[in-house]
This record gives sequence, structure tokens and C-alpha cells, in this order.
Amino acid sequence: MKKTLTSSVAIAALCSSAAFAEDLTVFGPWLGPDQANVEQVLADFAAKSGHNVSYVGSDSFEQQIVVDAEAGSAPNIAVFPQPGLAADMASRGFLTPLKDGTADWVRENYAAGQSWVDLGTYAGPDGSDNLYGFFYKVDVKSLVWYSPENFEDAGYEIPTTMEELKALTDQIVADGETPWCIGLGSGGATGWPATDWVEDMMLRTQTPEVYDQWVSNDIPFTDERVVAAIEEFGAFARNDDYVAGGAGAVASTDFRDSPKGLFAAPPQCYMHRQASFIPAFFPEGTEVGADADFFYFPAYEGKDLGSPVLGAGTLWAITNENQAAHDLIAYLQTTDAHEIWMGNGGFLTPLKGVDSSKFIDAPTAKMNDILLGATTFRFDGSDLMPGGVGAGSFWTGMVDYAGGKDAAAVAGEIQSSWDALK
Amino acid sequence: MDNIAGTKSSLTWVVHISVALLVALWLFPTVGLFVSSFRTADQIATSGWWNALFPTEQSLVLRAAAPDAQMQEGGLYVIEGNLFEGEGLSDDIDMSAWGTSSRDVAAYAPGDTADLGDGETITVQANGDYRIESPAEMSGSRGQRVFVTAELPPDFTLANYRQVLLSGDATDSMAKAFFNTLTVTIPATIIPIVVAAFAAYALAWMDFPGRALLIAIVVGLLVVPLQLALIPLLKLHLGIGIGKGYLGTWMAHTGFGLPLAIYLLRNYMVGLPRDIIENARVDGATEFQIFTKIILPLSFPALASFAIFQFLWTWNDLLVAKVFLIDATGQTTVMTNQIVELLGTRGGNWEILATAAFVSIAVPLLVFFAMQKYLVRGLLAGSVK
Repeated sequence: MKKTLTSSVAIAALCSSAAFAEDLTVFGPWLGPDQANVEQVLADFAAKSGHNVSYVGSDSFEQQIVVDAEAGSAPNIAVFPQPGLAADMASRGFLTPLKDGTADWVRENYAAGQSWVDLGTYAGPDGSDNLYGFFYKVDVKSLVWYSPENFEDAGYEIPTTMEELKALTDQIVADGETPWCIGLGSGGATGWPATDWVEDMMLRTQTPEVYDQWVSNDIPFTDERVVAAIEEFGAFARNDDYVAGGAGAVASTDFRDSPKGLFAAPPQCYMHRQASFIPAFFPEGTEVGADADFFYFPAYEGKDLGSPVLGAGTLWAITNENQAAHDLIAYLQTTDAHEIWMGNGGFLTPLKGVDSSKFIDAPTAKMNDILLGATTFRFDGSDLMPGGVGAGSFWTGMVDYAGGKDAAAVAGEIQSSWDALK
Repeated sequence: MDNIAGTKSSLTWVVHISVALLVALWLFPTVGLFVSSFRTADQIATSGWWNALFPTEQSLVLRAAAPDAQMQEGGLYVIEGNLFEGEGLSDDIDMSAWGTSSRDVAAYAPGDTADLGDGETITVQANGDYRIESPAEMSGSRGQRVFVTAELPPDFTLANYRQVLLSGDATDSMAKAFFNTLTVTIPATIIPIVVAAFAAYALAWMDFPGRALLIAIVVGLLVVPLQLALIPLLKLHLGIGIGKGYLGTWMAHTGFGLPLAIYLLRNYMVGLPRDIIENARVDGATEFQIFTKIILPLSFPALASFAIFQFLWTWNDLLVAKVFLIDATGQTTVMTNQIVELLGTRGGNWEILATAAFVSIAVPLLVFFAMQKYLVRGLLAGSVK
């Protein structure tokens, strides 16, 4: 009843403003199939509100939004793939705070609501904190992909603890096979898949508080707990027996190509740790749930840290205020906005009220359960660090580390680049 | 005759061989890209383009029909069919081995019978015909997975070209982007040439104080990176009301192209014989007449060579278009941007990249071949006296 009440209030709010139809431009990072999905959501908004909505995607969103904002030709709404850039733009006065009450709505209706509010709250140009970003469409990163039939052929069981995962890894090696496919290559962003590994390992070896302090640099990169997490990643990636193509191939293999080894005949590897979007790069015709499946990247049983989940998400912020922009943010708070994209796939949401039967398939619903069932949810740390670190020295440092450099030395370099930015 | 014209250098062969090597060096990746543009994403990911040209031994993962296709024959449940059916493979595949487990994909020879456990057996023939027999009713939703090792003929597809050329709707298609690109490119080539030709004539043949300084400034502007000017210029455009659009893009391209254009044309015009121009002056021609009647026709190779440069640069440009043209309404997109969009949110669609490269190369190639003799002549004339 409550759900219907809130959504009818939202729709009433939409209808009341429909008399003043406005042009609304939305600029985001999505292209290709995702663009069709977001346009479908926006078309529904346009039909309900009467505004004229247009969407443009760009692969160089992060650069272009800065150029447009600097020059004063910003779109009405920008969809940021990472909060770091949004925080930066908010502090320079390019973003408009969301309407009062949005924060309360998020706190109440999103799973782990407070953490989503915190992630979207930044200091404005005058230094006061406001909610600038509304999260819509999130990704889960703590997933391990595998081929169920290959597991069946070999008689492997899905590990439920990190200890079991390591034992399985050793068993696959003992059977004369290669357990992991790891690829860090991504053009100018080469190295980012390794930062996800390290963040996941951080959450599995340390408390969330330590993770937060690491992300805000309250504890330095050179802290032994951080170095230990990097070495946990190295235990997988720097072992020639563990990785397809040997440890030397990790840094040079493209992340988009690396999961294909799962489906080769004979298989080049058995497991691949990657975020929920990776099925887009599986060979054509691969059916998630049958040909490929995933399990939660497990936590150590012996450490009692619950089941932490690492994720990411896109946040919508107003870069050029008009009534239509506020209407769109209000529309995103309706379950319709979430369920339309859910039905097209590739969409997860922390919104508690959605009808999970609307997910395109069972695997996506299962993924969303991992998200909702997390005892700890933490945002991708490298996206929260300053750009020079999280999208710079952390990436290159991890490439160096995968290439054989010492973990402490790599951590020292990343920390000194961070110090230089302060 | 040889001894009259002088002896041929013994280094001729070295020159020929190095030319051949350089040509091969340039052609090799181009041919690879061309072959890749006819392959699917999965093919590109699993094998190199050089393998695509010849029949190769490959391991395929195929699937028998699902258990709901089973029929009862006597006391047995049987599924029969052909593995290659509906896979889009050619008919005359000759398999050399097959297997049912990912651990041993070439365990059996064609005609062998494999045990699937619980009394279930599968027999696969060389032509892909299979027969699964089971004493009990089979269950499950998916068919038995069969790994096949076979020699496959080269397999090419036009699907990439179809996607690049024909995908998208009326407002968001390659055809629209093509005409948008022409709308940007043609004025952005003509305007700087017209402006630069006048300027170059003045700098070459008209005496006025500060001429040498002006030339030095133009040469100095050659080294200024255009990235420096992007945001200030866009702010200016928005400030004076041009906004984002074609006019701003033409002006930006003109501005960024002018230093090179003036420098190139001035160097060429300075090399024209002084006598002709002085004769014309003596005969009473005005400066404008000298320019239009004498200088312009004589400078045609230099004008053409710069036109090619400017055309190629504006045709391939993405940066200036993104900053000055493409706004949030998405109505104005250019080919380079359309290609980037086709690559998808996370990039990595190499097959589209290869195909798009050949689509976008077509017009510049036409322009180049139509005007290439001027290009060489214009370049040499500007430098070698």
C-alpha cells in the first residue's frame, strides 16, 4: 500500500508539471544496447510527463562533461559513472542540489540506503554538504564466472568460502588444468580489473572501516594491511600455474577477451572474477545461467567479516537546472523506471520495492539477491579516490605489480602520487 | 644510351628493396584490418586474421537436441539428428575427432560410441549425424554437449558492413552522419584556403612594414597545440551567441588550419618568378588582378595539396567535432563519432572498428587519388628549389 501511495504521489507530481513541457537533454556514458535501454526508460518518462527528452551517449563522457560544463553548454542531466568526478564538479558549482526529501527517500527505499546517500552527497562551492547525485543502475563486482558444464565434467563443487576457493584452485592445478583467466588490458584504463581484485581482497581481509580509511587515505597505501591485500591478489595473478597464459600474460591480455577462455574447447581456464556486465563479452550465443554462471566471490570463513559486496553504479545529477530535470529525478524514484530496464537485462537496483519477477532472467535476479543480501556494501574504491590515483597511479601500479614488481614498492609509488595531489 | 646519361647507381637495388619493404610494412596491417572486417567478433578473438585465409583445424562446441526430442524405439529412448544442422556451417565438414568431456575434447574417432554413464551412449559419424541411446527416459532442458575437431574452410561475413552502414534509425544512422561530416568538411576546407591564399600573397609579394614579423608570428602559431584553445574558444562561441553548431565548427577548423595554410602557400608563392609579377605591375595590373590572373593559376598545385591535407584532417577529426558541434540533443553527429558509438559502452568491438575504418577511408581515398599528382608536386614545390 505504501509503495502504491508513494508512486502515485510521484506520478501526481509529474502530471501537475506536465502543463509546462520543456526540453530535457540527458548526457551519459551508455552506447549501443545500453543506449537503447536508457532511451526506453526516458521515453516512458517523456510519455508520462510530456517533456521532450533526448539522450546522447559518449565513450569519453568524463572528459566531455567537463568541457561542456566549463564552457557553459552542459546538458540538463548528466549520468556520472563514478562519484569522484561528480564530487569534483559539485565543489566547482556545476551541479544543482536535488530537491529536499530525496535523501530521505533514498535512505528509506534503497537497501543500505545511507551508504547511497553518502555516496551522492558532496560539498558544494560554499562548502556545505548537499545531495547532488541520485543512484540508478548499479553493478555488482564480487562475482566469479564459470562454466557449469565444465565444472560438472571435472567434478568440481562451487566454493562457498575463500578457503574452499583456494583449495579448488589448487585442485584444478593438481588436475593439470589452469584455474583462472585474468586480463588487465583496457586501452588507456589498463589495470582497472586488478584494482577491483585488490578492493575485494581488502573487504575480505579487513573491516569496512579500514576499507573506508584506505579509500579516503586516512591510512596510507603503504600500510601493511593494504600491501597484504595487494599480495592476496598476487597470490592468484602472479602464479604461473594459476593463470591462463602464465603470470606474464595477465597485464597484456585485454579484459574483454579474457573471459573467452572459459568457453574454449578445451577450456583455457575454469574461473573468471569480474563484474556483472561481463556477459556482454562472452562469445555470441552464450546463455547466462546455462552455458555460463556465476557465484559470489566468497569471504574467508575464518575472518568473520560477513559477506561483503563490492559494487559500482551510475549517479544522475542535474548540471543545468530546469523543471524537467527535477521531474526526471522524481520519475526515477518510481518502480516503473527501474522495472522497465530490469526487463531488458543488465540492470540491478538497490530499490527494495521492485517486483523481482520483472528481471529479464533468473541469473539477474540471483545477482540482485547478492546485492540485497550483502552485509557490507562498498563502492568501488578506485572510483572514490582522486582521479590521479584511482584512475591513474593505482591502475599503472597494478600493471607494474602484475609484471613482477614488489607490492610494497608499488604501494609506495601510489602513495607518493597521492601525496603529490594533496 | 646508358653511358650518355651516366651510369646507373649500383644502389638502385637497395632503393628498390627498401621501397618494397616500406610498402609491405604499410600494407601488412591494412590487409589484416581488411580481412578482420569480414570476420565475426568471436573469430577475431580466437584466431589471427592470417588463419582466416586458409582452412584450419578448429575445436567446436556443438549441442545435440534437447531430451524432449527423444523417441521410443523398442525398449530404448533415442535422440537422433545432425550436429552441424542449424549452425550455419558448410555441408562438407570432415571431422577428425570428437569428445563429450571438456577434459578430453578429442577422445573418440568418427563412428565410435561413447559412454555417457547410466547406460546412456552416443555415437557420432564423420558427417555430424549422431544417435543417443538410453535405456531410461532422458531428462533435462539442454542437449548433450559434443566437442568436435574438424578442418573448417575460411568463413567470411558481411554482417559487420551491414551493421556499420545500415544499423540505426532514420535520425541516428551512418547515412545521416555521412552528410553531417560533408557539411562540416567542405566549408572547413574551402574557407581556410580562400583566406590563406589572400594572406599568403600579401605576405609574399606586397611590401608593408612588419611583414617579416607577421610571417614569424604565423610560423610561431604552427606549434601552438589546438587543445589549448578548445575551452576558451567554446566559451567565446557561447558568449557571442554562436553556440555549438556548424558555424562554430567551420570557424574552429579554419582557425586551426590557417597557420599551416598560410605558411605553405606563402612559401610556394615566394618561389614564383619575380619577373612575371613585375612585368604585370609595369603593364598596370592592380594587385588584385595580379593575384587572380597570375598567382592563383600558378599556385594551383599548392592550393590542391593543402586542400587534401585540410580535407583529410577535418574528415578524420573527432576532437573538434565533439567540442564545437555535438551537443546534448544528438542531432549533429559526425561519422567519426558514429563509429565510436558503434564500438559500444566498453569498447572492444574490433570487428566494427576494422569495418568502420574501411567505410570511413572510402571518401578520403577518392579525394586522394583524384588529386594526388598535385599533392606531390605541391609538396616538392614548397621545399625544393
